[in-house]
Amino acid sequence: MAVSESHAESEKLHHSHLGRYVAVLAALVVLTVTTYLAAKVHLPAPWNVIVALAIATAKGSLVALFFMHLWDQQGANRLVFATSLVFVALLVGLTLADNATRFPLANPPGSVGALPAPEYVPPPQGGATYQR
Amino acid sequence: MSDATVAPPQLAHHFESLEKQQHAARLGMWLFLATEVLLFTALFAGYGVYRYLYSDTFQQASRHLHTWIGLTNTLILIVSSFTVAAGLDQAAKGKGRNTFRLFMFSVLCGVVFMCFKAYEYTHHFHEGMLPGRYYTYEALGSGPGGAIFFSLYYLITGLHAFHVLLGMTVLTVIGLRARAGRYTTEYFVPVELAGLYWHLVDLIWIFVFPLIYLA
Amino acid sequence: MNPSPASEASGSMHFVTDQNGYFADNYLVKPGTGLRSWLYTLDHKRIGVMYLVGVSIAFAIGGFFAMLIRLELLTPGPTVMDAMTYNRVFTLHGVVMIFLFMIPAIPSGFGNFFLPIMLGAKDVAFPRLNLLSWYLYLLGAAIAIYGMVYGGTDTGWTFYTPYSTTTATKVVPVLLGAFVIGFSSILTGLNFIVTTHTMRAPGLTWGRLPLFIWGIYATSVIQILATPVVGMTLLLVAVENAFGWGIFDPARGGDPVLFQHFFWFYSHPAVYIMILPAMAVISEVVCAFARKNIFGYKAVAYSSLGIAFVGFFTWGHHLFVSGQSAVDGGIFGVLTMFVGIFTAIKVFNWTATLYKGSVAFTTPFAYFVGFLFFLVFGGMTGVALATLSLDVHWHDTYFVVAHFHFIMVGATVMGFLAALHYWLPKITGRMYSEGWGLVAAVMIVLGFNFTFIPQFLLGNMGMPRRYYSYPEKFWALNVASTAGASVLALGLVIVLVYTLVAIKWGPIAGRNPWNSRGFEWMTPSPPPLENFEKPPTFTHGPHEYADEDPAFPAPHLAPEPKHV
Repeated sequence: MAVSESHAESEKLHHSHLGRYVAVLAALVVLTVTTYLAAKVHLPAPWNVIVALAIATAKGSLVALFFMHLWDQQGANRLVFATSLVFVALLVGLTLADNATRFPLANPPGSVGALPAPEYVPPPQGGATYQR
Repeated sequence: MSDATVAPPQLAHHFESLEKQQHAARLGMWLFLATEVLLFTALFAGYGVYRYLYSDTFQQASRHLHTWIGLTNTLILIVSSFTVAAGLDQAAKGKGRNTFRLFMFSVLCGVVFMCFKAYEYTHHFHEGMLPGRYYTYEALGSGPGGAIFFSLYYLITGLHAFHVLLGMTVLTVIGLRARAGRYTTEYFVPVELAGLYWHLVDLIWIFVFPLIYLA
Repeated sequence: MNPSPASEASGSMHFVTDQNGYFADNYLVKPGTGLRSWLYTLDHKRIGVMYLVGVSIAFAIGGFFAMLIRLELLTPGPTVMDAMTYNRVFTLHGVVMIFLFMIPAIPSGFGNFFLPIMLGAKDVAFPRLNLLSWYLYLLGAAIAIYGMVYGGTDTGWTFYTPYSTTTATKVVPVLLGAFVIGFSSILTGLNFIVTTHTMRAPGLTWGRLPLFIWGIYATSVIQILATPVVGMTLLLVAVENAFGWGIFDPARGGDPVLFQHFFWFYSHPAVYIMILPAMAVISEVVCAFARKNIFGYKAVAYSSLGIAFVGFFTWGHHLFVSGQSAVDGGIFGVLTMFVGIFTAIKVFNWTATLYKGSVAFTTPFAYFVGFLFFLVFGGMTGVALATLSLDVHWHDTYFVVAHFHFIMVGATVMGFLAALHYWLPKITGRMYSEGWGLVAAVMIVLGFNFTFIPQFLLGNMGMPRRYYSYPEKFWALNVASTAGASVLALGLVIVLVYTLVAIKWGPIAGRNPWNSRGFEWMTPSPPPLENFEKPPTFTHGPHEYADEDPAFPAPHLAPEPKHV
């Protein structure tokens, strides 16, 4: 399994991919301009974030698949990268879900739906009464 | 399989063949890239939470940044990624000198990127857009959202800039070795690995740009 | 000579041992014996041995702090120290035990030694990274110990904000030490994954991997994915403590529970980093000492991956009463229940392996019995704690303390000791004293029970954790717990003493004193530098005893080893 994979990997790399890289570069520039213009349109939340992330995902996929050669490789490398993305979604998703579904007053003061922020008072350095 | 011909000089004693060694190197690099992705994830999660909690302030804060710099930096990194990919292409053909030139162009892109960031940061310091307890910028209202935004801004872009510097160092070292002729058409996997690192730096910025700069 | 699965092409038969069965030209003398040969070694076996020495010292330090805790809790009110010192002691007990012992002990110690041998490889994929990970462990330990010596910190090993970000105690060096050790952990995991994928000897398919490898592999996956997040988190706390940037400070608009999310996203999978290698060892020990194929190889192998994966989905059960939303609480409660299923599969399969086996009640097997009992009770109390409504009563009481000590000490340390006794003959070529081994095992198991069962009762009665004084009604159980801890400590000291004696003066064990069918027993004891003369070819799985006639099983121990 490992031998045929590594053989295929090095085989593919011996062919020139320059044309492919130019195409990807063009696509990335276009997508960058697109995301900039999309932001100027001021879509209502949450669509502005969703559109921005969708475009970023497209750009990122191009970089990962073609510049980083995941398109040419099988098995383990793709699995490693895809798995890391699953865990990104997990941490961001469930943490955000917590703050989004809390009883609003439990969120930090000054934030949406919570108590207004008080005048800032620095906390006592070193904690309570113990000093060593 | 292992000792039919004279072993190439780069073959380590514990690997059966150069192919397996290179396959292992690639897999190791991808695992390392996965750890880098997870490293930034904590910051992105923090950003996500606080953007939800202070959405108005974050939007305004994004508009108070130099969007044109963010856009330029994005394009710079994309082009530098392209030249790194082209450099790998040249290495696969055995043309180490071209690899060096292309990698040095990417390093130059990195330098320009860092100059823009330095300019941005200097401007922010003057305006009082500082993190946490040093924050004194008044244009975003009196709530804590502004200070939180800039704390996250410096953490994310700072960590990214640190990785840009690391990437530039790696590209320089590998580029010099390529020019010295250390890589052949059979063995150029260090060039590949250096390229992977730089592409990851680009990939992270592709997500940082819209989240931080575009409201 | 009993048949071994790779005897057809095994290189080990060509090595010449002396007349007692000790292989003199082993890794301990090649390539040299001086200090430099150890400091610059690239040999995974030597790195594994150095880790074992390091984690044993860490275990002794952490154990010393544990005895101080139990000493203080012998009476209500101050006994030998004041409250601040007590806080520092339990913090350092936790930090040292978790980061310096539990996480690296089995994977970096036994994993480093045996993973390449079991795969039929000469070394791990990246030997220099392996050495680097050992030096990072030392560096991280040094930084953390520096922090300890200069006053320590009193935040608890969990470093909850906003206290950890505002305290003036030495939290920054301890955090930085843990950060550096995290890199050590990542490099080890990376090495193991790549080695398992790319350096298996011919014939060794995934379906023939020893179960120890499956466990270490699953552990490595967790190390790669979880450790960077805690690295970042600890860095954020250090930055906030040193520079006041306010991400977790509610007075600056931050959310302290966010820290808890980040921290437990690593630290819950971290407990699976601690338990999976112990389970991996137990799979090896069960088969060897019941002389039977594992019941349900695929189930045990895949359940390791299951624990690694599903373990990431459960971190919020540490935040049930911290202010997390009810929605998230519900989600995490349900997901936590699922993780128990994989452990249950393993427990069932190990027990089923014993059925109609030919059991030898040696010291490793005694630790297996302890392991099983403690894993089941610790695991069940874990499922009970995962029930949100019950956790409201038990959170931050001694019930939780007893639960995790049942798993960490009762299961993982038993696994570590089982590994130590099972593999000492292979690592050193010498055998420990079986009599003292059983005595110590009995003391450890009994001492453990007396230490931690009272703590379940205390927790249920409402005694909070991390308190240095308590009302008189808790006095008797605390005394019982301290008494048990003393017996436990004495048992561990006995293990240390006879192990050191065995290393220097123990009887020569020979290549395979247990007549085990594990792959690592194919090499001589101690193994040669490159493990095999030429790479072996594997044609059978690793725990195959099915061809033995149960009426005439092979002897469990080779003929009385000669004393030299």
